[in-house]
Amino acid sequence: MGLTASSPVVLEGENLTMRFGGLVAMAEVAFTLKRGEILGIIGPNGAGKSTLLNIITGIYIPSSGEVRLEGERLNGVPAHKIVARGIARTFQSSRLFGDLSVLDNVIIGRHTHTKAGVFDAIFRRGRAKAELDAAAAHAETLLKSVSRGLHEQRHRPAGELAQADRRRLEIARALATDPKVLLLDEPSSGMDDADTDALMDDIRAVCAQRPDLALMIIEHDMRLVASLPHRVMVLDYGQKLADGPYEEIRKIPRVQEAYLGRKAAQHAGA
Amino acid sequence: MAESLALPRDTSNPVVSALTVIAVQLAGALFLRQFLLIDDWRLVIGLLLLFGAALVLMERVPSLEARVEAAFARHSRLALLLGIAIVLAFPFVLEGNTYALHLCVISMLYAVLALALNFQLGSANIPNFATGASYGIGAYASALLALNFGVSFWLALPVAAVVATIFGFLLGIPSMRTRDSYLALVTIAFGVVIHQLLNNLEFTGGPNGLVGIPAPELFGHSFASPLVIFGQELPSQANFYYLSALLVLISIVFARRLHDSRVGLAWNALRTDELAARCQGINVTWYKVLAFAVDAFLAGFAGTIYAFYVGFISPDNFTFLVSVTIMTMVIAGGMDNILGVIVGAFLLTLLPEKLRAFSDYRILFFGVTVIVFLMIRPQGLFPQRLRRYGH
Ligand SMILES: Nc1ncnc2c1ncn2[C@@H]1O[C@H](COP(=O)(O)OP(=O)(O)OP(=O)(O)O)[C@@H](O)[C@H]1O
Ligand SMILES: [Mg+2]
Repeated sequence: MGLTASSPVVLEGENLTMRFGGLVAMAEVAFTLKRGEILGIIGPNGAGKSTLLNIITGIYIPSSGEVRLEGERLNGVPAHKIVARGIARTFQSSRLFGDLSVLDNVIIGRHTHTKAGVFDAIFRRGRAKAELDAAAAHAETLLKSVSRGLHEQRHRPAGELAQADRRRLEIARALATDPKVLLLDEPSSGMDDADTDALMDDIRAVCAQRPDLALMIIEHDMRLVASLPHRVMVLDYGQKLADGPYEEIRKIPRVQEAYLGRKAAQHAGA
Repeated sequence: MAESLALPRDTSNPVVSALTVIAVQLAGALFLRQFLLIDDWRLVIGLLLLFGAALVLMERVPSLEARVEAAFARHSRLALLLGIAIVLAFPFVLEGNTYALHLCVISMLYAVLALALNFQLGSANIPNFATGASYGIGAYASALLALNFGVSFWLALPVAAVVATIFGFLLGIPSMRTRDSYLALVTIAFGVVIHQLLNNLEFTGGPNGLVGIPAPELFGHSFASPLVIFGQELPSQANFYYLSALLVLISIVFARRLHDSRVGLAWNALRTDELAARCQGINVTWYKVLAFAVDAFLAGFAGTIYAFYVGFISPDNFTFLVSVTIMTMVIAGGMDNILGVIVGAFLLTLLPEKLRAFSDYRILFFGVTVIVFLMIRPQGLFPQRLRRYGH
């Protein structure tokens, strides 16, 4: 993949703390993400994994600390502008536009790359239509490259898709924004092993086509965590427990105790 | 398989599908004509039953509806030209009935208002209860210009729309911070404030409103005098009939172009999931305010035509109830479906008029009819459709 020792850092967080009233959901967490890198994030329920994604994407404003994209501070930048700067995401519980077609969902992902406003739509229709048709063509190509099966269903309402396809569509919609950084929140949740394998192949294909794309994946599925990321960060009670290659972090007793042991045992039993 | 479901492809004989288009349009026009002209309540009930039966048929046999839709998609030009021809010819088949023409004018103005609100309620799911207020602002702005400064109708029309749009922006700004029920409350409050202002201000004439708004003139022809076309004399209402028909056409063009654009998609996105929309780069706040402005712009147009049509306006023409009626038209007709919204506007304007025979039970009967239609078609008479691209 695109990751080498000299790859520059695209995204970094420093001292990130998030309080909700008395609850500290995240305490002084720092992280870095290099160009072309895949970073896995694991941790038990309530560890603060989704909170971290929400901070990065501007949904939450951190109580302290800062996030930088290619050296530029993101604190206080509204969520929709962060997307335009190059950070896209999916959600833990999929949030598609269910009453719109699969294709429309991806076209909406092109929002930041299109410009037509009310005036263009009404009085310069040709231009607005050409722009949207181009976005539609782009979306079709993207859908095809992410998953053929999804492309064949492009005219169906997104709400009718099967669980695995919903996840794929969320990824395609996020990719449509042409991100530098893609954040995936538990992409395999609700999937069986076969679906998860297919998803991993799809993610690998996506990364192979975009060697510069940096990825952060929150996951519970240990098979995925063991094979996909270059590096894994462990969160527990809002704190960073460990950060390193999977082979290393799995050996740390506190990690095994806090998360891996329990989860791995559950997984073996299932 | 799935594809053929979403994209009804018309494989039938082109002549058959063209005839389908013609038959459906003529049947619709004939139905409207009869409904406008009959007086006997038994015939009214009969026609309503016929309408209900058509709805049941559409609901039971979706393939039929899909066929008709595909025929219209295939012969869109024919449908458009025939539609325009029917609208132009319609006043001639109303037997000079001024009341029927009047009802057409009012229905069309409501159709414009419903299309305006549809940008918000249908496209973006913003419960705006202030469309009636924007309608009033348009009416008062143009009437005041005409009465105090002698501004002609044709100049007052765009100016009033701009004034209404500015108020729409003003309403949009406090609404940015609120959502759902709270947003609805803000718009209700706005409507009440406007109504109170119109009622209490000196220059708006207080509760008596404004009287003596002059009829528009075009090339020396006063809209207050009968319209003579091809030696046929039509009542003076026909002037306003054609004017409002033009406004409906403009509104349809606006609505279609916006719906099929990036703006319409952004509205649809924030309708379903605001957070997800923000995470696709959509400035949700801006698009909401924009929806308020577009709604107010069209409502302002409709208000101007209304003011010059009836010649006098008072605050009671623009109450909260008017906003609720417009909202019902959008919901009953079909959210985010242009045809549905227009049919909803006509139905809900004409129904109470045609049910006058039931005197005291009129409103009850009105409510029951709407509920029955909605039970047959729970998504509205003509529900939302998926978009298509390219071809
Ligand atoms: N908006 C919020 N308001 C209050 N508390 C919150 C909010 N968002 C998250 N929290 C709390 O912060 C903590 C971390 O939540 P978070 O969703 O980040 O966990 P997670 O690691 O993603 O867990 P899971 O594996 O269950 O998804 C939890 O205790 C949660 O209840
Ligand atoms: Mg989570």
